Amino acid sequence: MADFARKGKWWGALLLCAAMAVSALTGCSGGADAQNAQEQSAAQTDTVVVAMGPTSEPEAGFDPAFGWGAGEHVHEPLIQSTLTVTNTDLTIGYDLATDYSVSEDGLTWTVTIRDDAYFTDGEQLTAENVAFTYNTVKQTSSVNDFTMLDRAEATDDTTVVFHMTRPFSIWPYTMAVVGIVPEHAYDSATYGIHPVGSGRYMLEQWDRGQQVILTANPNYYGEQPKMQRVIILFMEEDAAFLAAQAGQVDVAYTSATYSGETVEGYSLAAYDSVDNRGINLPAVPAGTDREGRAVGNDFTADVRVRRAINIGIDRQEMIDHVLNGYGTPAYSICDQLPWYNEASEVEYDPEAAAALLDEAGWTLGEDGVRMKDGVRAELNLLYSNGDSVRQALAADLANQLGELGIACTIEGVGWDTAYDRALSEPLLWGWGAHTPMELYNIYHTIGETSSAQYSPYSNPVVDAYMDEALASADLEQSYELWRKAQWDGTTGVTQDGDIPWVWLVNVSHLYWVRDGLQIAEQKIHPHGHGWSIVNNVDQWSWS
Amino acid sequence: MKRLNRRQGMVLLLIGAAVLLAAVTVAGILLEPRAMQTDFSQTNRMPCPEYPFGTDWMGRDMLARTLAGLSLSIRIGLLTAAVSALIALALGIASATLGRKVDAAVSWCIDLVMGIPHILLVMLISIACGRGFTGVVAGVALSHWTGLARVIRGEVIQLRQAPYILAAQKLGVSKGRIVRNHLLPHLLPQFLTGLILLFPHAILHEASVTFLGFGLPSEQPAIGVILSESMQYLTTGRWWLALFPGLMLILAVMLFAVSGERLRRLLDPASVHE
Repeated sequence: MADFARKGKWWGALLLCAAMAVSALTGCSGGADAQNAQEQSAAQTDTVVVAMGPTSEPEAGFDPAFGWGAGEHVHEPLIQSTLTVTNTDLTIGYDLATDYSVSEDGLTWTVTIRDDAYFTDGEQLTAENVAFTYNTVKQTSSVNDFTMLDRAEATDDTTVVFHMTRPFSIWPYTMAVVGIVPEHAYDSATYGIHPVGSGRYMLEQWDRGQQVILTANPNYYGEQPKMQRVIILFMEEDAAFLAAQAGQVDVAYTSATYSGETVEGYSLAAYDSVDNRGINLPAVPAGTDREGRAVGNDFTADVRVRRAINIGIDRQEMIDHVLNGYGTPAYSICDQLPWYNEASEVEYDPEAAAALLDEAGWTLGEDGVRMKDGVRAELNLLYSNGDSVRQALAADLANQLGELGIACTIEGVGWDTAYDRALSEPLLWGWGAHTPMELYNIYHTIGETSSAQYSPYSNPVVDAYMDEALASADLEQSYELWRKAQWDGTTGVTQDGDIPWVWLVNVSHLYWVRDGLQIAEQKIHPHGHGWSIVNNVDQWSWS
Repeated sequence: MKRLNRRQGMVLLLIGAAVLLAAVTVAGILLEPRAMQTDFSQTNRMPCPEYPFGTDWMGRDMLARTLAGLSLSIRIGLLTAAVSALIALALGIASATLGRKVDAAVSWCIDLVMGIPHILLVMLISIACGRGFTGVVAGVALSHWTGLARVIRGEVIQLRQAPYILAAQKLGVSKGRIVRNHLLPHLLPQFLTGLILLFPHAILHEASVTFLGFGLPSEQPAIGVILSESMQYLTTGRWWLALFPGLMLILAVMLFAVSGERLRRLLDPASVHE
């Protein structure tokens, strides 16, 4: 009797699942159809529909204080103006600013702004608004560090002065990501949903979980956007692929998984990125820190082992295997950016790698695994659970290290434990931002721990170069110092230096693009496969 | 050749099912290293003689993965079903023999656990226990005992009024001895059937909680992991990634369900002479 009832329940549950699945499917396609009809009328003229991943949707809305444009995934805020912008070669250009200067001691930045910028509610954008914005984000920003800013002050309508707590030469890169909000219309509770800005676009509609519609700002102070309407749809990767197949979107993000497919009427566009993947190699012997966490790794503490790993992996093979060819070898966290040091580049050389390991005392055992004093050369490579690209990269890396005689296992971990575990085991990371600060975050020691934040490492010379770079009064000069922090001829974080991180690949960002759509030249994409593509959507056009 | 009667047929079928499941379990354990092995020169192969179930995007042999996954599922199922059944047995008997207050407390617990959607409870316990193998086992084991506990409690309450138990009580036999000598033998068929019928539940819940990403890590060859991975590749036409593991999961679950049903018929006094 009991199991009969149970069986009945099972069938009921099955039927219910089927019914739900069917209704969900029809529900989706119904909505998309309606939308499609609406778009077809305007298509091919001045409207573009872009499909992005669900994680690209700004959870807290379009408020710069809560991550819009800034934070982990940097992009231009579109709705708001910024003081500066990053050019396609990642140098600094002007948006609202007309000029900026910094005092000798690096503690005062003076920025003059244009006087013809108006918010979309008709009010003029003055230096007051700029000062208000920066003082607000300093208080409330949940995504960026503003501790270097003491306060911002408007000295007249078009001049704003930033008083710093410490010299920060790369301040222009911070100015490039902070969207300016109007003081008179800013309420942190509602601004994210009803943003008022002075940027190229205005928010017309936001259906949470589905789409964002942007329309061109008719009173924009710069060149009028060619694309009058931008519709952003948030969908999973497979849904985006199907949407492209059905012709419902003009641009759809995709990944190497789909790159072997063809979609009629679309071509696959690949954009270079600094969206790099690399592993940290703890540079100190195993031990525990004050909080009781395991820190350090006896195997990777030997610099020769780290160097062997760096030259013993075939990055191109990894790109061909895992990324289907859509990627570039990565040698640093900032490949091809103005502060990149070419000395980071290495040749794949398995013989030299083997020689280094031999020299370090790790000699080949009978089972093909290296041994030293009875200890096997073993590594457990961590990757974030559920990320198939990182998992495949970890697996390929494990195979390649296996050939070197290092036995590797891979393990998927959640981000709740990953940061702590990475202190003693290599973790597959993804980085890449449009600011040299990233070098600082990775390699510079923090606080009293005298060790870098994400992986135990410290080099006072590297620290000193970065401190000097931040204190530098001239941005161009600071690039040189950032380069020296990577390699100054005697020490650094490259192959001949300490090599505490090994960089593997830069993942190209792939999109299905409808034939006839001209996407303007992209600046090298940062980490995060999202809004970067529409940074210059105003310059896109249909032919 | 002498025709087998239905009872013998059933025994044979039962043995057959048990042998098959045992074979899958052992094969899976032996194949586990092969299931984890990646070969990037053999990615996305269609099913062929060399790889009967095809290969996935990292060139892993799906046959080895499926068998290893099933094996893992069966082992988790065994462990969780055993734990669940023991909890059910202990609580069921306690509830029916230790007086009203205990009964009320146990019944309240059963209602509480039953009141929370199963999959949600499994997820919560799994996360609380740190995910991974322990998380899944704890989650499934601590959420599946309620139904069986109820059945056993009802059975014991009924048995308590049976003349031979009343007589034993009047003769001054101790409570423990009554449970051991008179209650347990009568509960055995119910218990064994319940135990085996917990398997399919346990396996499916293990698969679903892992599918949703709250269970085993993604390099593990587990059916839930395999199925959730295959979802990404369905739109590109790699049907074999989902089809074979899915079919094998259904097959294993059905084998367990059929075995449980047969066992019940063999042991249940009402159908034992069919």
